[in-house]
Amino acid sequence: MPRSALITGLGFITSIGNDAASVSANLRAGRHGLVTYPLYDNPNLAVKVAAPVRGFAVDSPSWRDWTWPERYDLPRETLRSLAPHGVYAFCAVEQALADAGLTKADLGDGDTGLFCASAGSAFLLHHHLSQAHAAHFERGNPMGVVSSIAGTLNFNLAAHYQITGAVTGFVSACASSSHAIGYAIDEIRLGRQNRMIVVGAEELNAETLLPFGPMRALSVNPDPATASRPFDTARDGFVGTGGAVVLIIEEASLARRRGATAYAEFIGWGQASDGHNIATSHPDGAGLRNAMLRALRDAAVTPAQVDYVNAHATSTPIGDRAEAHALRAVFSEVGAHPVVSSTKGLTGHGLSMAGAMEAGFCALAIREGWMPGNTHLVNPDYSCDTLNLPRTTLSVAPSLVLNNSSGFGGSNVCHVLRRV
Amino acid sequence: MAADSTEPVLPKATPLKSSPLDKFPAAVREAHARFVATGDADSLDTVVLAVLRDHQPRHTRRTPPVAPPDSARLMGDLGFDSLALAEIVFFIEDLYLVSITTGELVKVTTVGELRAFVRAKVAAAGPARVPSSP
Repeated sequence: MPRSALITGLGFITSIGNDAASVSANLRAGRHGLVTYPLYDNPNLAVKVAAPVRGFAVDSPSWRDWTWPERYDLPRETLRSLAPHGVYAFCAVEQALADAGLTKADLGDGDTGLFCASAGSAFLLHHHLSQAHAAHFERGNPMGVVSSIAGTLNFNLAAHYQITGAVTGFVSACASSSHAIGYAIDEIRLGRQNRMIVVGAEELNAETLLPFGPMRALSVNPDPATASRPFDTARDGFVGTGGAVVLIIEEASLARRRGATAYAEFIGWGQASDGHNIATSHPDGAGLRNAMLRALRDAAVTPAQVDYVNAHATSTPIGDRAEAHALRAVFSEVGAHPVVSSTKGLTGHGLSMAGAMEAGFCALAIREGWMPGNTHLVNPDYSCDTLNLPRTTLSVAPSLVLNNSSGFGGSNVCHVLRRV
Repeated sequence: MAADSTEPVLPKATPLKSSPLDKFPAAVREAHARFVATGDADSLDTVVLAVLRDHQPRHTRRTPPVAPPDSARLMGDLGFDSLALAEIVFFIEDLYLVSITTGELVKVTTVGELRAFVRAKVAAAGPARVPSSP
């Protein structure tokens, strides 16, 4: 019997809630997490809105200043080598393990792996390098490297949880955690691992977000209620968010033996690159179309069987339209009309974290029986004319769901999730 | 409609350079001030032991705190790894404006050796190099 990959635990530290219950309630009600949030003390900056995590204070370069919800027992020896987004990640892992009915003692058997995705901490890296420059590189913080470079999540979490299975990180910008999930599915299907912990996390600070400004990728709409509006004609860029989302993915027989309750099953995934441009999507969404088709083929399902697509759409003029064209090519042209929505209208765009966050949302929607709408969508772009874009949440249980992600360089990833 | 009524904590400007001891107990900061004012070596020991404890892994830390004997091995008994020892060195360098080489560091293996080493190092650096306020 082929091995299958079940989602048995979720952890959320997001702009719309720090646990599954509040995330679910906000998604269903269409409540967003965006606020007026100056990231740098400069009133001339056009970017006014962001979607911060609540309940944490990690904006200092010193871990001694950081605070997080008291219920998470984060030891000093782990904290000292974390980046700010590592604190989010630690809390989300703790949450996901508890949700899955697992403890640290279950993770060191060699059959559990850890795949992580973040861009590292530009903020902390800048701090440490500034210190090093000031000292002419004669001295520096010993934790400077492991706390700030890309990979900081897997370095720290593997050591803390004493994970002896497959451990690595993924760096494909906004497709990173979707790649992590895809390869985690393969680890389980190929029999290499029985359990995978997938972590996506990012910081929300000037150093992480504002460099996207010169690319003209950020929304300059000052109204938190409309700044992130994927697929709308008035969209003008994405709104940044940070946080961490964790998925525990287990081989089905192991999950059953443990008596774990599954949210959903990953039955396939696919990826394809645009081969087109370093930053912007192929105008026809060619890579994303191919990623979806490959994912459907891997899962052995047809477009007509898909009930819901969680779109990558970040609210940028070029990217959303490219995805709409890709969706039309995969679905509309064969007479299929799944519900499509981008939850980034509520959360903002979590960069490396986005794919894991939205896979988590899909898992909640499947288990709880609803499909999120496009809350801020008023006038859909012309490219969306054949797409089914409800404005509000539908109380209809999806059986088969796609989760799309796209990153710089034209990397595209799509997962297929099924109700169990 | 916004997700909840909890106001997010707005980001603060990058803090100005503060003392490495800002988050330490008042008694430790007072000991540091006493050492700076008087050169009292016992006060310096108090600070060094507090820095040691601050970096000590949880599984070897006793509650309430008990000063480890001079014979306690930093790596064997107190659970430090080489990176944590490098952090302690970095901290002490910052606090007392001294420079400690890797060659010096590898010779320090016990609590007693650490205390003696910091005393000698700070004395050699001279009082002018010690910051006046913690």
